[in-house]
Amino acid sequence: MTEPMASSPAAMTRPAEGRAPGVPDGGRPILEIGDVRRRFGGIMAVDGATLDVEEGSVTALIGPNGAGKTTLFNVITGFYRADHGSIRFQGREIARRPPHAIARLGMVRTFQITKALARMPVMDNMMLAAPEQPGEQLVNLLVRPGAARRREREVRERAEELLSVFQLERLRDEYAGVLSGGQRKLLEFARALMAEPKMLLLDEPMAGINPTLGARLLEHMHRLRRERGMTFLFVEHDMEVVMGHSDRVIVMAEGKVIATGAPEAVRSDQRVIDAYLGGGAAVGSEG
Amino acid sequence: MEARTVTTTAQLPLRERVRELPAVRWARFHPESAAAAVLGVLVVVLVVAYGVHDVAQTGLNGLSLGSVYALGAVGLTLVYGILKLVNFAHGEFLTFGAYMAFLVSVTWGAPFVLGLLFAIAATAALGVAFERIMWGPMRARKAGLLQLLLMAIGLAFLLQNTIQFIWGTQVRSLDVNVTDTVEFLGLRIGQTDLLVIVIGFVTLLAIGAMLRFTLLGKRMRALSDNFDLAETAGVDTSRVVLYTWVFAGGLAGLAGVLAGAVTTVKPQMGFELLLPIFAAVILGGIGDAFGALAGGIVLGLVIEWSTLVIEPRWKISVGFAVLILVLFIRPQGIFGRARAI
Amino acid sequence: MTLPLGITFDAFTDFGFWTSVGILAGTYTIFTLGLQLNVGFTGIVNFGQAGFMAIGAYTMGILVVKYDWSFWLALPAAVLVAVAFGLLIGLPSLRLRADYFAIATIAAAEIVRITAQNARELTGGNQGLFGFEGSWDNVSDSITSGLQSLGWSDPETLFPLFLVVWATALIATVLLYFMQRSPWGRVLRAVREDEDAARALGKNALVYKLQSLSIAATLGALAGFFLALNLNFLNPEEFEPLFTFIGYAVLVLGGLANYWGVAFGAIIMWTILEGTRFIDLPISAEREAAVRFMIVGLVLILLMAFRPQGVFGKKEEMVLGD
Repeated sequence: MTEPMASSPAAMTRPAEGRAPGVPDGGRPILEIGDVRRRFGGIMAVDGATLDVEEGSVTALIGPNGAGKTTLFNVITGFYRADHGSIRFQGREIARRPPHAIARLGMVRTFQITKALARMPVMDNMMLAAPEQPGEQLVNLLVRPGAARRREREVRERAEELLSVFQLERLRDEYAGVLSGGQRKLLEFARALMAEPKMLLLDEPMAGINPTLGARLLEHMHRLRRERGMTFLFVEHDMEVVMGHSDRVIVMAEGKVIATGAPEAVRSDQRVIDAYLGGGAAVGSEG
Repeated sequence: MEARTVTTTAQLPLRERVRELPAVRWARFHPESAAAAVLGVLVVVLVVAYGVHDVAQTGLNGLSLGSVYALGAVGLTLVYGILKLVNFAHGEFLTFGAYMAFLVSVTWGAPFVLGLLFAIAATAALGVAFERIMWGPMRARKAGLLQLLLMAIGLAFLLQNTIQFIWGTQVRSLDVNVTDTVEFLGLRIGQTDLLVIVIGFVTLLAIGAMLRFTLLGKRMRALSDNFDLAETAGVDTSRVVLYTWVFAGGLAGLAGVLAGAVTTVKPQMGFELLLPIFAAVILGGIGDAFGALAGGIVLGLVIEWSTLVIEPRWKISVGFAVLILVLFIRPQGIFGRARAI
Repeated sequence: MTLPLGITFDAFTDFGFWTSVGILAGTYTIFTLGLQLNVGFTGIVNFGQAGFMAIGAYTMGILVVKYDWSFWLALPAAVLVAVAFGLLIGLPSLRLRADYFAIATIAAAEIVRITAQNARELTGGNQGLFGFEGSWDNVSDSITSGLQSLGWSDPETLFPLFLVVWATALIATVLLYFMQRSPWGRVLRAVREDEDAARALGKNALVYKLQSLSIAATLGALAGFFLALNLNFLNPEEFEPLFTFIGYAVLVLGGLANYWGVAFGAIIMWTILEGTRFIDLPISAEREAAVRFMIVGLVLILLMAFRPQGVFGKKEEMVLGD
């Protein structure tokens, strides 16, 4: 049983349901996963996972250790190849496409152990992530240097804005390696936002950061969902965060999706309880 | 839940489709058998094209060459598996062994056997010395892969040229009888080549038995699999590491003496053998001692058999071609389990 | 002046000596700039640079000598062949781990060298290939006349080559420096740091690695041209892995992730390598050669042990500690 009992004094109650204006209700889910399987050595790490994620929602993916959550993340984002199954993002089949292609379609992920590029300055980390940079093509450096320079300026401005939202702007010239763990998590989040994603997959965003920083991250997540209709799917072990901040919870165990639904419903679902505790107290209770 | 559309095999890209073909799938999950099958087919084709006699004759040469490769490869792969060090200086151990034998047998006039034994002991000691002076301290400092790699290269420069400084570039001979041949079954093999095969196989069998059945061997394999896990399980890693260098050095020294016996002794001999030895290691699966053994023999055979098809001066490139093919098709080698990507 | 043990340093006052060292240093600066781009900035451990050098030199030589091509057409053609070879090798091997990639590239380079050694009709094998420097000689003569008109009455024969080599080296260094500071260079560094992070942000790591390798192939080929023009003679021995290893010694001497340090490293290294050739030590030539390379080996070992970032590398950007 892995859920930490840490309480977060700054934890917000779930904000009012909100869809960004213009997002159709009841339209096609932004992410549809059908019977995905992935084997590792002898075991099926993901054994027929099927789930949907609605556009503009905040969904939590939970489950005991070894349930296959991070493997599923890796498969969805193209870092592992699915042995079987279908993954549709905005109606487009993306299973077995390479990770960079999937990121460019608008699905960006963060990693459980942050991949802040330690030997590059924070600002470089941020600017790297911006899409559509002509300067990234060698040819353009030669034939369209003006366009490249203009975009660099734009990107730098946007990076400054985002850094100040997360109060990291003082660190812009520091190597990312000198940042604390929590600052790196924020940096990775901010950097992911630079990529202008339609959907953000966060792998344990709260792990190892203090409650204040965590609250800031969550606050920003909700604002993005409200103002831009961004979709969030995150893996978390902190049940307070899961209960307090997600519209919907998906539970995995032993490579399969065993339950989905509203947080309260899932918390008292017997199958979920069994998966975590083998019978006993409800998930997330203090008792 | 509604039914999901499932991507069928027919919709996969070409590379995936090839991987899913029944024959290819079988080969992927049974690499040893597949390799044996390929080798078998190769032998059959060669026999049909060139006759049993020629294939067997070159096969004998291949076994001799392969023994040298296998002895060098086992040491190299043990060091890589346990210490994660790509030891570019390993070839120089072979050279050192050959020159030690030269010193004892030719310069001091002692019997060849003494020279051989001395070479093995001296090279083993050299391996341990460098572990104490260089590799151990660098590991303690958490040196990175490239750092160690370049250090090994520097060591190779140092060793080869020290040997050249002392003995010069003049090509030497180990004064073994290279002209007498033995005949059997209509095949002819040089006495020395036969000796190489016999000594090589006996040693490899002994090493194989050591790795399989002794406690030390099991520990070495455990460390090779997962160093940290073995350490937490209480294995005295520094002891095992020392023994690893003893074996790596000793085997390399032996390989050098045998190579020097059938050919000549010169300062570059080790480096020239190093790349084929790397090929053998990778063919067998890096980190796997049995793989290195098999890889060495197979590589020797393939290289000598290639002389039936192409001119002998090209045969070395066959080794490199095999290496590149393995890296492209199955980098973890025949026996390797871990993904090498 | 003669020191005890009969050691003299006469050669060091000879302008010809310094020109000769300078040409070698310049050639290897170009050679190693490719390694710097690969190792220091992209994180790919290319051990096949001598192979690119061989392809550049031999393609040019063969086209000029055997097929009567114009020297000026043969140069770009040879670069293209080198780049094509780089792509051929790179595509399948760049997805391998760093140490496997290193071994694959060294194997590829050896195949090139062995081909040069054995395809005798084409390359002259061990006898060598020569007779390609005609057009260059014309250029060299023009430069010499130019120097004479500037007042230098008796210019050193090899000085024009020295000028051209260093002009190329400097242009290459400046170009690489600016490329590195661009968004393109930023992606390269990200690929060096963490390929998966770069991919997760939409960057096709393989394409960038291929570009890096292709540029290194071009630089290797250029170095091959200058080697050829320096020796007026091509021989497979000049392209052994030894020279790639010397390139790495130069690289780590100057410091990783620093293009300007490469020239520094090359000058020091070749002063050592050539200088010991001319110091009259009371030992045989064979032994002198051995000592030279023992020094190279020691330099590598000591640098890696005590100052892996080299002379000009930054400790924070120390690329060697994985």
